[in-house]
Amino acid sequence: MAKTILAVDDSGSLRQMVAFSLNAAGYQVIEAVDGQDGLNKAKDQIVDLVLTDQNMPNMDGLTLIKSLRALDTYKTVPILMLTTESSDEMKAQGRAAGATGWLVKPFDPKRLIDVVKKVIG
Amino acid sequence: MALSTLPMDELRRLLQGLAKNGKQHLVEVEADLVQTTLLLTEAIEKLGSSFMAIHGAVVAQQNELDLMLASKRLSEIESEKVLKYRQKIAEEVDAAVTGLQFQDMTSQLIARTVKRVVGLRDLLAALEAYGDVMNTDGNHEDVAKLLEAMNKSLSTKSGELAGGLRQAVQQQDMHSGDIELF
Repeated sequence: MAKTILAVDDSGSLRQMVAFSLNAAGYQVIEAVDGQDGLNKAKDQIVDLVLTDQNMPNMDGLTLIKSLRALDTYKTVPILMLTTESSDEMKAQGRAAGATGWLVKPFDPKRLIDVVKKVIG
Repeated sequence: MALSTLPMDELRRLLQGLAKNGKQHLVEVEADLVQTTLLLTEAIEKLGSSFMAIHGAVVAQQNELDLMLASKRLSEIESEKVLKYRQKIAEEVDAAVTGLQFQDMTSQLIARTVKRVVGLRDLLAALEAYGDVMNTDGNHEDVAKLLEAMNKSLSTKSGELAGGLRQAVQQQDMHSGDIELF
């Protein structure tokens, strides 16, 4: 059974490219338009990996990670940030919030798939 | 020309003119940026849609070629060519996926610029408001106090504006960003 990945990003084109790349590698993708939508969808269905942007309306990526980590079902689920943010300060905040890794946009599909495979197989 | 009194009317008109003209130009800048965002979004939606359609057609074509390869209907040379094209297509698809992400980053920068323009318009509005309350009968001390208050207010508003506009897009590498697993 295909593993499910929740892709959270307010940019439609980014979600489209993430879903395209992950689908091609055999993963099932659920899309969410911001952190709040991501949190709701993560509660509706337990996913194998969360891939989230940082700067989004309604709820940002760091808040989403903290909210997910507060749930028993998401204590150990890998969460990757996929964001334009590249400062060490932001990465440290991500790590403290419970992120599993940090990917800076733009992503190369092959490298994205390599990381996803490494994290969830 | 020596003046015995402060040219308060002229100073007030200067402030109001600066604010009015500045705001008019900033409204135009904001409108252009919003329009640019709309055009960019439309462009990327069309490109994304075409990309998906082209990819779907290419995959179907490759499936047909796979059948021909499996049934040995192609010569060895033709088969090698087909495999080379397949590799080239895969590389270009990956490059296109990376390229189609730049609209997201560009939009973030435009949104930041729009916020700065709106903030600058507010600064000019504050300047205009000071011009409105400027007393034409004021003495040197009153005018000095007013100018001092204006300066402080502008500095504060400018600081608040800059504080709310953190630079989130600083990409230099146009291929793909760093990856770090914690």
